[in-house]
Amino acid sequence: MLDNSVLLVVLLLLLLIFAPQQGVYARWRQKQWLRSRAAMEDALMHLHQREHSGRLASVESLAGALGVSTRLASMLVQRMEAQGLLQVTAGGLNLTPEGHRLAIQVVRAHRLFERYLAYETSVSPAEVHELAHRLEHSLTPQQVEQLDAYMGHPLSDPHGDPIPTASGEMPEIEGQSLVDFPIGTPAQIVHVEDEPPHVYAQIVAEGLRPGMVVRVLERSPTRLVLESDTDEHVLAPVVAANITVREAPQEKLALEGERLSALEPGEKATVLRIDDACQGLTRRRFLDLGITPGAHVEVVMRSAFGDPVAYRVRDTLIALRREQADWIWVRRDGNGTTPHRTQGEDDGEVTNGK
Amino acid sequence: MREKVVHACESCALREQLVQMGVRVDRFDYVLALAGNPNTGKSTLFNALTGLRQHTGNWTGKTVARMEGAFEFNGKRYKIVDLPGTYSLLSASVDEEVARDFVLFANPDAVIVVVDATALERNLNLVLQVLEITDRVVVCLNLIDEAERKGIEVDHRALSRELGVPVVPTAARQGVGLGLLVQTVAELVQGRLRTSPRRVKVDARVEQALAELVPLLRQVYPDLPNARWVAMRLLDGDYNVRRALESGDLLRLARREAHDQELEQARAQAVSILSLAQRLQRQLEGTFRDRMVESLYAEAEAIAQKVVRRKGERRWDWDQRLDRILTSRVWGLPIMGLLLMGVFWTTIQGANVISDLLATALFWVEAQGSALFRALGAPWWLTGFVWHGVYRGLAWVVSVMLPPMAIFFPIFTILEDMGYLPRVAFNMDRFFKKAGAHGKQALTMAMGLGCNAAGVVATRIINSPRERLIAILTNNFMPCNGRWPLLITMSTLFVAASFPPAFAAAVAAGALVLVVLIGVVTTFVVSAVLSRTILKGEASSFTLELPPYRKPNVLAVLYTSLIDRTLVVLWRAVVMAAPAGGVIWLLANIHAGGQSLSQWISGWLDPVGRAIGLDGVVLLAYIIAIPANEIVVPTIIMTYLGAGMMTELESLNDLRRLLVDQHGWTTMTAINLMLFSLLHNPCSTTILTIWRETKSAKWAWLGALLPLSIAFGVLLLLNSIVRALQ
Repeated sequence: MLDNSVLLVVLLLLLLIFAPQQGVYARWRQKQWLRSRAAMEDALMHLHQREHSGRLASVESLAGALGVSTRLASMLVQRMEAQGLLQVTAGGLNLTPEGHRLAIQVVRAHRLFERYLAYETSVSPAEVHELAHRLEHSLTPQQVEQLDAYMGHPLSDPHGDPIPTASGEMPEIEGQSLVDFPIGTPAQIVHVEDEPPHVYAQIVAEGLRPGMVVRVLERSPTRLVLESDTDEHVLAPVVAANITVREAPQEKLALEGERLSALEPGEKATVLRIDDACQGLTRRRFLDLGITPGAHVEVVMRSAFGDPVAYRVRDTLIALRREQADWIWVRRDGNGTTPHRTQGEDDGEVTNGK
Repeated sequence: MREKVVHACESCALREQLVQMGVRVDRFDYVLALAGNPNTGKSTLFNALTGLRQHTGNWTGKTVARMEGAFEFNGKRYKIVDLPGTYSLLSASVDEEVARDFVLFANPDAVIVVVDATALERNLNLVLQVLEITDRVVVCLNLIDEAERKGIEVDHRALSRELGVPVVPTAARQGVGLGLLVQTVAELVQGRLRTSPRRVKVDARVEQALAELVPLLRQVYPDLPNARWVAMRLLDGDYNVRRALESGDLLRLARREAHDQELEQARAQAVSILSLAQRLQRQLEGTFRDRMVESLYAEAEAIAQKVVRRKGERRWDWDQRLDRILTSRVWGLPIMGLLLMGVFWTTIQGANVISDLLATALFWVEAQGSALFRALGAPWWLTGFVWHGVYRGLAWVVSVMLPPMAIFFPIFTILEDMGYLPRVAFNMDRFFKKAGAHGKQALTMAMGLGCNAAGVVATRIINSPRERLIAILTNNFMPCNGRWPLLITMSTLFVAASFPPAFAAAVAAGALVLVVLIGVVTTFVVSAVLSRTILKGEASSFTLELPPYRKPNVLAVLYTSLIDRTLVVLWRAVVMAAPAGGVIWLLANIHAGGQSLSQWISGWLDPVGRAIGLDGVVLLAYIIAIPANEIVVPTIIMTYLGAGMMTELESLNDLRRLLVDQHGWTTMTAINLMLFSLLHNPCSTTILTIWRETKSAKWAWLGALLPLSIAFGVLLLLNSIVRALQ
């Protein structure tokens, strides 16, 4: 008897402490969360995104975006209202000017950090968003500024989203959805939406990135056929709707050529450009080694197991792995004799081969 | 030209910046910097100029090797600082940052840029960058002999006209042109030679941005000699230059003494300069680096076209033919295997002889020393501690460790110098890529077979941060020469003994190869896991230069490999081994309750040891041997015998009797011991080296605990399985 009642008390106590939602521990966790920088910053970002897209956020949409209960979300809203960050109106949740200012800074930190992870570390593209989302809250304002300066005050994140300036100006992306873009006209991708993740993963898997030039070949209610430099892509309209494009600028048009990795030993070629998607350490290394537009490359030999391959660039033998040679676009030299230069060196304009 | 260095200069000009960069200038009249691409013969030139008056170290706070040397010419003393070999100064790596900061902030009296006459175009990229920073430059056109053989002719007078600075053709290896080089440098630093360096014509959009930024910089810093270059660095988002601007260091660079008021003012104006720079950077849409490098190379191409003449088409013949064999699908691997086996065979055979001689000599000294102590009436414990403890530990480690390293490292360095090792990395990269690692890890692993600490230092050749960390953290899985004696003893005594005598030797060798293979497999598995988990946030990039084959410079190799690798590693080991010897002696000779301390401790450790198929004595030996793995076996024997000092047994039969008959060792025990020896934590020298090389206690801890937990895990698993099967 006694044993059973003790057991019951212990069970009740445990329930009191560990009950989901209402238990002591759960409440303590919720309180911690409400006070945390992460909750507030995530809420600001959601409100800002909604405002940007034209429909105001609600407590429900906030709860959905943050993955918490409506009760908790409304507590967060109250808290932020008390801090003067937002106003609850009939139409939804409205950011105050102060809230707006903070939101822009959060967006800035997030996008800068995404860019950093994508270009300066070995984190895979599909993981970048998630990781940036978790880590952005620990950045101090100074670190954000350092990051910005380190990457040369970039204009956009790897998805093509604009990065706001330190003073809060947010450049607009101009463009239209790929779904409505005329067939046959060369289009440059300016933005790829990273939500929802499974759609984004498909776009990444197709190798479509901001900066790329594509052409719509065929469109039907069920599918969209695209042509890029080398491949053909078939996309569902839902997926295509997440890609924003604009008419490709002149200088990007003459992008014929092939990847350096496609060449065989003994062949010679002239470098056209380094792929836009190749950024960070690898791009800087390429440049240092003299892999610049107009440089001559000769494929010298494969290693014992086929990869990497050694290339002669500016009289030096450099070994590159296949996926690196993929970044380098070249034009084959005819029969390897008297390679032609793209243009004179002295006119000052040394942009991509026109 | 090489005179002796005159000492003690009482009144030398104070050079604040140089002192700040850690250069001791007290005895020198002039300080020179030596810059250049990798593989241009820069080190050869440095050695030729300075002889043996060198000092190696590290750049403050960086794991980049730093060489300093001195020479005297016409009564003036020169100090040369050898900068790391880089392709560029635009900082894609720590090396470039170090070189760039030195040229910019330390303000040396002259910079000698060594260029490779056979690849002028690429080398000019660096020259043009240096010319943007300073006009006190002498270009050393090196390897003219090699160029001649390849049918390349460089018109050095025309090159000098194009660059606006003196150009001296040299062949540093043969000593050709060095006199003229020094003469020219002397004239330059004494102001008898005027230069008018060529400035790079950048593309229109960059020029436009510079036109806005440079005047503002000039206005705030009227004395700054290289405002244009500082502006370029700001447009590139260079963090160090930005900080120098914010802190006022840039003002001090322009003017040796600056008043507080001026500093204050400069700092205030830094804000407006930086915000202008930021606006311009955004206008360039992050294309500054591309445009800048394209302009540099376009200019380099134009210059090279004017001054280089090529004769004939047979220029790459010899190299290419050799490469075709050494990297071929059929011959690449066998040649590599044969060479490696040759290196090890030579090392082991040679080391045996020297090791015996050394041991005889060193232990003779011990006998004499302890006899002397006894004759002088020293108490037994003093004699024991000093001679049979501290000295014996030291002598043991030196006699086991020094000979193989003194043979292995020079051979290895010669292969490196000839240009063969990069080809090994080239061939092996395919496998390392799959594990997220760099092909050059093959080289640091091979180095680890000699000594893990040296292997960790050697990872400096891996110029990608993530891959370098992987190589550092996994180097331990290559058994170093401190562990070889144990592995050899175990495989002959136990593994081979279970086979007929005719096969014994082959089986023992096979067991050793198997151990190394297990180490290699472990390395790959751990590398793959690391690269996909905790190291995913590190930057990663693969490039591998394959330098032309060259005749090795044997004397220089012997010198550097002895100084840089062998002696440094040996010294650290000695510092560790001597105290360990003392501790071992104390443990064996302090008695309590009828047992020595070592017997007590091994008794406590016994349950843990049994769990992984070993015993307490072995674990105790491993704990004591953390400073030096060489002393594991002697410590085990000492504790089993209850002796007062580390001992070795005369014959294998005695050893078998002790281990098998008296302490119940089985073949399984031996296998466990070999695995434990292969996988357990690195020695303290290596752990310390990891800490120094990574500048991080976190990686040092990981480097120690990761292998240890793997060792325990593997042995626990193996022994549970074996027990379950029995």
